[in-house]
Amino acid sequence: MASTSPQQLPGLALGRALVDRLTKVVVGVGGIAVIAAIVLIMGYFVWVIVPMFAPASIKLLNSVELPTDEVIFTTSDDRFEILTLINADGSVQFLDTTDYKTLSNSQVLSEPIKQLKPLYPLADTFAVRTTADDLMFLKITHNVRFDQDERRIENKVELLFDANAINLTGVVDFDVYRSETKLRVVTLQQDGSLLLEEYQDVDDYFELEEPRTLTIDSWNRNPEELTVMLGPGGRWLYEFEESTGDYRLLNVASIRRFSVEDTGTFDDTDGDFVVTAPVLGRYSFLVANDRGVLDHWTLGPVGEGQGLRKIRSFKFKDPIVQIVTEHRRKGFLAIDTVGTAHLGYTTSERKLAEQPMNVVPKAVNFSPRADRLVALQEDVVDVFKVSNKHPEASWGTLWGRVAYEGYEKPVYSWQSSSADTDFEPKFSLAPLLFGSIKAAFYAMLVATPLAIMGAIYTAVFMSEGMRKIVKPGIEIMAALPTVILGFLAGLWLAPIVEKNLTAIMLLVVIPPVGVLICAYLTTFLPSRITARFEGWFGALTVPVILLLSWLTLAYGESIWQFIFGTDMRMWLENQGIEYDQRNALIIGIAMGFAVIPTIFSISEDAIYGVPRHLVQGSLALGATRWQTLVRVVLLTASPGIFSAVMIGMGRAVGETMIVLMATGNTPIMDINLFQGMRTFAANIAVEMPESEVGSTHFRILFLTALVLFIITFLFNTIAEVVRQRLRARYGNL
Amino acid sequence: METSERLPQEHRKLFRERMSLGLWFKSGEPWVWLTATAVGTSIVAVLGLIGIIAVKGLAHFWPADVITFEYANELGAQMIAGEVVQSERVPREQFEESGTGRVLDFSGDPTRLMIKSGNRKVNAPDFRWIYAHDITEREKQQELITFERLEWGNAYGTIVELRQDGAAVSATNPWRELNTRIGRVVDLRRQAQVIQNRSIDRINYKLEKLRLKQRKRELQGNFKTSDLDQQREQLNQEYAIKERELNDIGIELDRDEVVIAIAGGRQSVIPLRNIVRAWQPNAMNVFSKFGHYCASIWAFLSEGSREANTEGGVFPALFGTVLMVLLMSVLVTPFGVIAAVYLREYARQGVFVRLIRIAVNNLAGVPSIVYGVFGLGFFVYLVGGTIDSVFFQAAKPAPTFGTPGLIWASLTLALLTVPVVIVSTEEGLTRIPKALREGSLALGATKAETLFKVVLPMASPSILTGIILAIARAAGEVAPLMLVGVVKLAPTLPIDGNFPFLHLDRKFMHLGFHIYDVGFQSPNVDAARPLVFATALLLVIIIIVLNLTAIALRNRLEARYREALN
Repeated sequence: MASTSPQQLPGLALGRALVDRLTKVVVGVGGIAVIAAIVLIMGYFVWVIVPMFAPASIKLLNSVELPTDEVIFTTSDDRFEILTLINADGSVQFLDTTDYKTLSNSQVLSEPIKQLKPLYPLADTFAVRTTADDLMFLKITHNVRFDQDERRIENKVELLFDANAINLTGVVDFDVYRSETKLRVVTLQQDGSLLLEEYQDVDDYFELEEPRTLTIDSWNRNPEELTVMLGPGGRWLYEFEESTGDYRLLNVASIRRFSVEDTGTFDDTDGDFVVTAPVLGRYSFLVANDRGVLDHWTLGPVGEGQGLRKIRSFKFKDPIVQIVTEHRRKGFLAIDTVGTAHLGYTTSERKLAEQPMNVVPKAVNFSPRADRLVALQEDVVDVFKVSNKHPEASWGTLWGRVAYEGYEKPVYSWQSSSADTDFEPKFSLAPLLFGSIKAAFYAMLVATPLAIMGAIYTAVFMSEGMRKIVKPGIEIMAALPTVILGFLAGLWLAPIVEKNLTAIMLLVVIPPVGVLICAYLTTFLPSRITARFEGWFGALTVPVILLLSWLTLAYGESIWQFIFGTDMRMWLENQGIEYDQRNALIIGIAMGFAVIPTIFSISEDAIYGVPRHLVQGSLALGATRWQTLVRVVLLTASPGIFSAVMIGMGRAVGETMIVLMATGNTPIMDINLFQGMRTFAANIAVEMPESEVGSTHFRILFLTALVLFIITFLFNTIAEVVRQRLRARYGNL
Repeated sequence: METSERLPQEHRKLFRERMSLGLWFKSGEPWVWLTATAVGTSIVAVLGLIGIIAVKGLAHFWPADVITFEYANELGAQMIAGEVVQSERVPREQFEESGTGRVLDFSGDPTRLMIKSGNRKVNAPDFRWIYAHDITEREKQQELITFERLEWGNAYGTIVELRQDGAAVSATNPWRELNTRIGRVVDLRRQAQVIQNRSIDRINYKLEKLRLKQRKRELQGNFKTSDLDQQREQLNQEYAIKERELNDIGIELDRDEVVIAIAGGRQSVIPLRNIVRAWQPNAMNVFSKFGHYCASIWAFLSEGSREANTEGGVFPALFGTVLMVLLMSVLVTPFGVIAAVYLREYARQGVFVRLIRIAVNNLAGVPSIVYGVFGLGFFVYLVGGTIDSVFFQAAKPAPTFGTPGLIWASLTLALLTVPVVIVSTEEGLTRIPKALREGSLALGATKAETLFKVVLPMASPSILTGIILAIARAAGEVAPLMLVGVVKLAPTLPIDGNFPFLHLDRKFMHLGFHIYDVGFQSPNVDAARPLVFATALLLVIIIIVLNLTAIALRNRLEARYREALN
């Protein structure tokens, strides 16, 4: 064909040559573009996923001279546009973070500050203890206003509760919890006893009403060594002793009584306990000792009741002396004795980055979005840029067991979102993988025998006339929208199966056996009658199957009732087997139905394509038709059947709508036939629309899509290669 | 006997004789029968499935008799009128344990009927179970009327009186009078609809355009608004006129009411503006029922949905499906064909092309949800987001193309189905005998001419087959659409009378998603179920017809090649 290149032909009009050229270019570019688009899909997935595994970094942005040397604490607004300094003299100063010039300075407190604690769980309010032992509440807000299209930030600092103060005379330590309408203050008295005060109907702008109080007995330790901390929802109370590392956990859910839930020690080997810091939500906290070990302890079920348990440890070269935690995630920053800051994340157990700070700062704080870090030194404040977008993900957390807060033991769990802001997302892909495999397994269990046996009969024994109807008929099944199968399975089949469980089980046995009995009876018929129906047995079985299925459905349940005295559903429940209405059995039937045509069609092609002379040769040598089938036909066609099964599996793994509609979509790991599952595909369909673009969750969903892509692509490629080799073999035979 | 086991089937037929069971098993015949059972089961499953959808879907439109039941249970004697939707046997123990304290005076399991008694808001709940053995009397009252309402589902009852402006109207034949008045209401409603669609929507659309224009100017630093204000003023005036017209129609619509008596003695007032249709099912003969049946099917296909998609028609969903699929085929055809032509006619055949071919083949097997994820991330967020920030700055922060919509759904499905078209086209190209190409070239045609005048025309049936298969696949696909553009209720169709007429950025409704949404997200599943079956049937019919067309085409194509080769 190369010789017919138009240029070589004399007298070819320029226009025709141009058209020829143009076609070549358009087809070439178009063709390559389409193929490139296909590659692009994979490339795009990788492009989305990769940032998830990018390393974190801490970088020094600015070192700012402080206007005063009395700064005791720093905080910032959400986007780190304003840096707020709280000074010991009771004044608050706002700096613009573009040039670190003072915007305003206000003297809110008349007395100097002795002690300051952020008011858990709020990031913008601080409990401040003055030198006069008054406990006051400072609220710092930054309101964005649009003034003639110009963005302005209004910084405000105010004293809450109408400047109402709580007296802390003689108090060693305190902690405060604030909910929408409730304020809880716990104070450690000099005699070691604890006083819990609960203020109700709290409003920012009104004085506090008389509190209800609860006195908690002393622990008989040196009060100077003790720290108190309110736990989740203010319902729990942690008490730590610094020198021994002993702890006490109190349940104070009700203000009327308390109970000691757990006591113990953080460190059962030598080494002094040094410092603690609560992790977001206060279900867990970090404990560092002077040997460079940082332990993560959580509140959770221990034995019968609740207690504290160590779930992971981080090891550092030097002892940790200061820990701060992030405001919206479960990350932390630990600073050791030589002033190196270590960025870490609890859930994923990752040490993310390190940054030397030269000296141990007076105070460190994350910005609300954890993208800045402010370290307060003696007379400067260092601002670091933290880029740490996806600390929650690691291969370990994605695929392995993870010890989560509040769990008894490490588990595989997928729970990506919750109504709580202090919730710990659980991104284990294991339950989803398990669900996908479980669904595919049961579907294949139903589909494979039916499809392959059907293909055998259609290709080998069926008359040409019937085959012409049956094959396209079953192939049309493949085109049936899966949403319809899912709908039927979920709304129509599931209640029927629930009511006729025994009958459904019996359906596997009774119709085939019935057909066999009928078949045996036909051997008694004269051959001139049976010969007429040769090749149409497939159709003849239909009435038998229908009749027997109907009988099974009508009386199946009574059989079980007769034997066990109750229906199978109840019986299962009595045996302790849980039964969901939308379960793996339903999936097996519905998805099996969806996969049958794929397997049927490909394996039928393979069996039908076995060269005739092989069959004839075998029959001529005296083998029965079954022997010929098993030892010649199936053996030759087996690669084709294998590839059919692979392609069917690929379809089952990635099917979305059936699983979405016919299971409860609970991500559990249970092989039980009567329980549901959540698959990769269904999970994407459920969670993708709500996922925030660019978040870890979003990228993990992309990862699951890529996993699906790779799994099915792999299955299909294996199948395709096998099939091509088979085709070559048939050609040679 | 030894011989007969060894003999092949054909021989055995000649010397047919009785076989012992053991020998029969040894011959392998039972296994053949088992494979026949597998085929039979598959056939039963396919036919059963389609049968169930057809029966349940079609039965929905038949005007069911409304039966008045008198029954007595533990709560005393009651009366209810409604359609029998379902009947089932309840295990005896379950009945006895249900806490009613009643004892059955017969053996066997009791039967219960599900009655759709309608009259939501008056009767609660509108679906009720009653036990067959409790029924003391059942009657088909000739004058009972079924009212299909715009809101609150059906109502059943007999006419007590007709009211006009609150005063009773005397009529010799109230039923005929009611129908005349319903006809009037239907006309008025249509007029209101026309004003709403042709005028008010258009004015709103223009106002929105004006707002965007002004915002665009502001962004460019141009604060001149006088001309825009003038236009806006004019539109607002037009709007006020049309709104008044609508109000007038509204007043007219509110004129009539009908008071009906509901079984059990209560009465209920139905404003006529709330009535879609009314009929007397018990008084209808088979022919009028059939007429009603056809009208119901037509209404189902041509009307919009009501009551959170649980009632009314599926026109917007049907329209959305068809439009999306058409757009997709416009996109997929050129690319699919060009890629196939490139692979088969222009690319150098070798390992690389073989690998690409395998890859393309396999893409057809990649789960559709994966394409959905890609479409959402790449098309919607990346491409759409970029388009928005370049061309639609004025509309921000509301996204225009940076949100799921028709064009993204079509593109995603085009990507999903392009392997189907490529594979099918390639198959067609492979089958064209080399001699034809060479003949064309030998006669002096260029390669392009050969392609356009010989190769592509001959391959056209297989290209068409590919496109039809692609359409059939796209029409039934739901999972990716959930991510890239389908919504449960779209306020407007993607095509309307406002420039540019086809709105590629709009979200749309889809039959498949309709099934998912109504079947699984709807609060009143009992009321919605028949409609879901009807929708499913519609979708199945569309897809089976498409597939049969593809199969028929393929068969004709095969015949044609045989001719060409001979």
